[in-house]
Amino acid sequence: MAAAKRIGEPVLEVRDITLSFGGVRALLDVSLEIRAREILAIIGPNGAGKTSMLNVINGFYHPQEGTIAYKGRVRQRMRPHEAAEQGIARTFQNVALFRGMTTLDNIMTGRLLKMRRNFLWQTIHWGPALAEELEHRVFAERIIDFLEIESIRRTPVGQLPYGLQKRVELGRALAMEPELLLLDEPMAGMNVEEKEDMSRFILDVNDEFGTTIALIEHDMGVVMDISDRVVVLDYGRKIADGSPDQVRRDTAVIDAYLGVAHEA
Amino acid sequence: MEIVAFLHALLVEPFVAMWQNPEFLLEVAIGGLLTGVMYSLVALGFVLIYKASGVFNFAQGTMVLFAALTFVGLLERGFPVWASFLLTALAMIAMAFVIERLVLRPLVNQDPIILFMATIGLTYFLEGFGQIVWGGDVHPLDIGIPKSPLIIGGVLINEFDLVAAAVCGVLVTVLAVFFQRTAIGRALRAVADDHQAALSVGIPLKNIWVIVWAVAGIVGLVAGILWGSNLGVQFSISLVALKALPVLILGGFTSVPGAIVGGLIIGVGEKVAEVFWTPATGGAIEDWFAYALALVFLLIRPQGLFGERIIERV
Ligand SMILES: Nc1ncnc2c1ncn2[C@@H]1O[C@H](COP(=O)(O)OP(=O)(O)O)[C@@H](O)[C@H]1O
Ligand SMILES: [Mg+2]
Repeated sequence: MAAAKRIGEPVLEVRDITLSFGGVRALLDVSLEIRAREILAIIGPNGAGKTSMLNVINGFYHPQEGTIAYKGRVRQRMRPHEAAEQGIARTFQNVALFRGMTTLDNIMTGRLLKMRRNFLWQTIHWGPALAEELEHRVFAERIIDFLEIESIRRTPVGQLPYGLQKRVELGRALAMEPELLLLDEPMAGMNVEEKEDMSRFILDVNDEFGTTIALIEHDMGVVMDISDRVVVLDYGRKIADGSPDQVRRDTAVIDAYLGVAHEA
Repeated sequence: MEIVAFLHALLVEPFVAMWQNPEFLLEVAIGGLLTGVMYSLVALGFVLIYKASGVFNFAQGTMVLFAALTFVGLLERGFPVWASFLLTALAMIAMAFVIERLVLRPLVNQDPIILFMATIGLTYFLEGFGQIVWGGDVHPLDIGIPKSPLIIGGVLINEFDLVAAAVCGVLVTVLAVFFQRTAIGRALRAVADDHQAALSVGIPLKNIWVIVWAVAGIVGLVAGILWGSNLGVQFSISLVALKALPVLILGGFTSVPGAIVGGLIIGVGEKVAEVFWTPATGGAIEDWFAYALALVFLLIRPQGLFGERIIERV
C-alpha cells in the first residue's frame, strides 16, 4: 500500500445521487468521494449500479437528483466532453475501442484534447499540425512501451484478443494524462497472468503519475490487493465504504455480496 | 417460339454485340463514367455524414444543386473561377455551421427518423432559397474544361469524361489523406466507429458534425460543377441524388470506397445496359437499372460490397 501515504483531499464528491430509468432505480441516494491519488474499488453484485455510477461521473447519465462536485465546481450533471477536458478518462465494461483503427491510432485519439490548436485551425494549417502530430506520437509511443504492446502497434484493434483490447483501451485513457481514471471491470474475462499484468499497470500508473483511480472489479483477490478503499453498492444503494479489511468484515457486505456466488 | 427469340435477344445477342465490338463497349462504358462519378460524389457526401452523425441526409442532392447554383451565380456576376469556387466553398462551410446550430443540435438524441425528416425539410428550404437567390432558369456553365472527342487506341473518348474521372480521383485521394493522416481525420474515424468512446476522449461532436457537413458540401460543389458543365446548372441536378440510394445499397452505407465503386458501377452499368439491351427490352433501362441492381444486392448481400456486416448490437 505504498500509495496510501500520499492520499489527499477528495477530488470528486457525488452527493445524494438518484438515477432511474423509467421504473428502474439504478442509484438511490448514493454519496461517495474519490480522494486524490487513491485507488478506490467499487464493488457489488451485477446490476448494483456500479457502471451507472461511472456513467454519472463522466456525464453519460444525468441523475434526477443529487450533485457532483469536481474541481471546485458543484454541478447537477457532468457532460462527457467537459469531463474529458477536466481530466477524467475512462474505460468501458464492454471495451469501446475504435475497432477499425490500429492500436497506435486508438491511443492517439486520447491525445486529441492535448493538441494545442483546435480542429478548424488544423484543417487549414497542415504543416504545423503535422509537427504537433509528431510530438504526440512520441507520447503515444511511451504509453505503448509502458503497457508492453509494441508488437501490436500497427494491428487494427478489432483483430486483437480481448485481454489485449482491454490493455489498449487503458492506453487510450492514459494518453489523456488523466487526473481521474475510471476503469469499468478492467480485468473481466482475463486469465490469471493477464490480471497480474493489469494489476501491475494500474499500481504503476497510480504510483508513478499520482493518478487517482476508481475501478469496478469482481475479483475479490485483486480488489483486496490493489485498492486503498472499497465502496460497496447493492441494489443501487451504498452499503459499505471503508478499507478493504473493514469491508471484508462488514456483515451487511457479507450478506449482500460475499455470500453471493461471483466470478473468481 | 417467340419466347425463345426473346430470351435470345435478352441473354445472347447483347453479349455477342459486346464481343464483336469491344472498342464500342469500352466507349459506352467510358460514356457512363461521368454519370458514375456524379453518383459517386453524391454518395460519398452521404456516407461521410451518415458515418459521423448517423443522419440519413436526404438533402445531399439539393446541396449539390445549391452549391452549383451559387458557383454559377457568382461566375455570372463576374467573379473569376477561382474566386467563385472559394466563395462557394466558404458558403458551404457557413451552411454546415448553420445546419449544426439550427437543425442538428436541437435534435440531438432524437430518433434517426426525426433527423431524416429534418433533412427533408432542409431539402425544400435549400431548393426554395436557391431559387429566390439565383433564379429558376437553366444556367449554362463553362469553366473551360475541354470537351473535344479523342481517339485513344481506337476508342472514342470525350475529354470531359476523362477530366471528370481525374477530378474525382484527386478529390478521393485528398480525402483519403485527410482521413488517414491527420488528427481531425482520426477524430472523424473515431466518431464513426464508436460515439460513446469518442465522447469519452473528449472529441467535440459538434465540431465533427460541422466538418463532415462542410466536407460533404464541398464534395457536392465539385460534383455540381462537373455535372453543370455538361448539362447546365438546373434543378434536375438534385434528382441525381435519387440514384444515390441504390449506389449506397450497392456500396454499403458506411463505406467510402463503397460509395465510389458503387457509383461507378451503376453509372457505367446503366449506360451499358441501355445501349446493349435496348433492342431486347425497348429502352429506358437507365431509369430502373440502378434500382433493380440494388434489389438484387438487398437479397444476396444486404451489407453492400464494402459495408460491415450488419449485426444487431446487444
Ligand atoms: N441505459 C440504461 N437503460 C435502462 N436501464 C439501465 C441503463 N443502464 C443501467 N440500467 C439499469 O440500472 C441498473 C444498474 O445497472 P449497472 O449500473 O449497469 O450495474 P452494474 O454495473 O453494477 O452491474 C440495472 O438494473 C440496469 O438494468
Ligand atoms: Mg457494470
